[in-house]
Amino acid sequence: MAHEVTTTDVDQDNAHRSTHQSHRATYVTIFLILGVLTIFEVFVPEVYSAGWSGQTKMLLLCILAIGKAALVALYFMHLKYEKPWLRWIGYTPIYMGFAVIIIMLESYYRVPGN
Amino acid sequence: MSTSPAASADHADEQGLIPELKHFGKATGGKIAMWMFIAQDGMSFGGLLFAYGVLRSSAEDWPVPSEILGIGLTATATFLLICSSLSMVFAVLAAQENNQAGLVRWLAVTILGGATFLGIQAYEYTHLVHAGIGFANSSWQGEPINDLFGTTFYAVTGFHGLHVLSGVIYLSVILKGAMAGKYTQGGLSYSPVELVGLFWHFVDLVWILVFTFVYLL
Repeated sequence: MAHEVTTTDVDQDNAHRSTHQSHRATYVTIFLILGVLTIFEVFVPEVYSAGWSGQTKMLLLCILAIGKAALVALYFMHLKYEKPWLRWIGYTPIYMGFAVIIIMLESYYRVPGN
Repeated sequence: MSTSPAASADHADEQGLIPELKHFGKATGGKIAMWMFIAQDGMSFGGLLFAYGVLRSSAEDWPVPSEILGIGLTATATFLLICSSLSMVFAVLAAQENNQAGLVRWLAVTILGGATFLGIQAYEYTHLVHAGIGFANSSWQGEPINDLFGTTFYAVTGFHGLHVLSGVIYLSVILKGAMAGKYTQGGLSYSPVELVGLFWHFVDLVWILVFTFVYLL
């Protein structure tokens, strides 16, 4: 049966197109933020050599990496828009991340000989 | 039949093609399965990074990674993966809009980004091996360094590289289907593109973490 195009169909098409345009704008914004943060990350070791402490450098890099990873998961992988159960599945590996951070912190704060 | 450029994903939702699940909403079975796989794979990477952290923190003579590894080149590769993530979301949008030409174009760009990343990694490995950084024995500028530096570096980045290779193959299979018009037929036909997209973004996300922990810290 041929589908007759109605005014409602056209309105829905326009609404969907507008939604996708807004998605595109969000994706480009996230991409630009990720790009700027990556450039900033590369300059952090320079900051370190300028006299900042190792802990400051490490903390800054960890925050930047986790922030960037969260942006990819929440926006590019749409985790922000999913129901809580699917979100929790996605969040599962985070506990491994906490373990890694604790280990790295220990290496920087350990007093030699103890 | 005239093809409407409207979003087939939204239409599929309105037509009731995606059942409303109590705990997962409108997520398809394929999407839930892909997320479970990603969670497991994320824990594999977490285990590797955890082991890396333990070995590094217990070593007294761990070299400064930024003095041995090419940060500039790897930062370029990182940016390339981020670019390929952007082209991937555009590919998913094109599939949802039943835009076959756009889907093929953005998938091809994503594959090119992944293949270039692999090329950069191959170049980096070759350079490091020639400089003395082996999988089991490592030296730098003629002086022996902690062997675990090379072992952990190749284990973590190699495991990720295999994921990029898998992603490029997976994307190539999807590209073949896209060229045949399989994913731009409306309804839920776009779903396989969304699934490969989830995998590809995961590969990008993991690299962001690996780049920081292995190269920058």
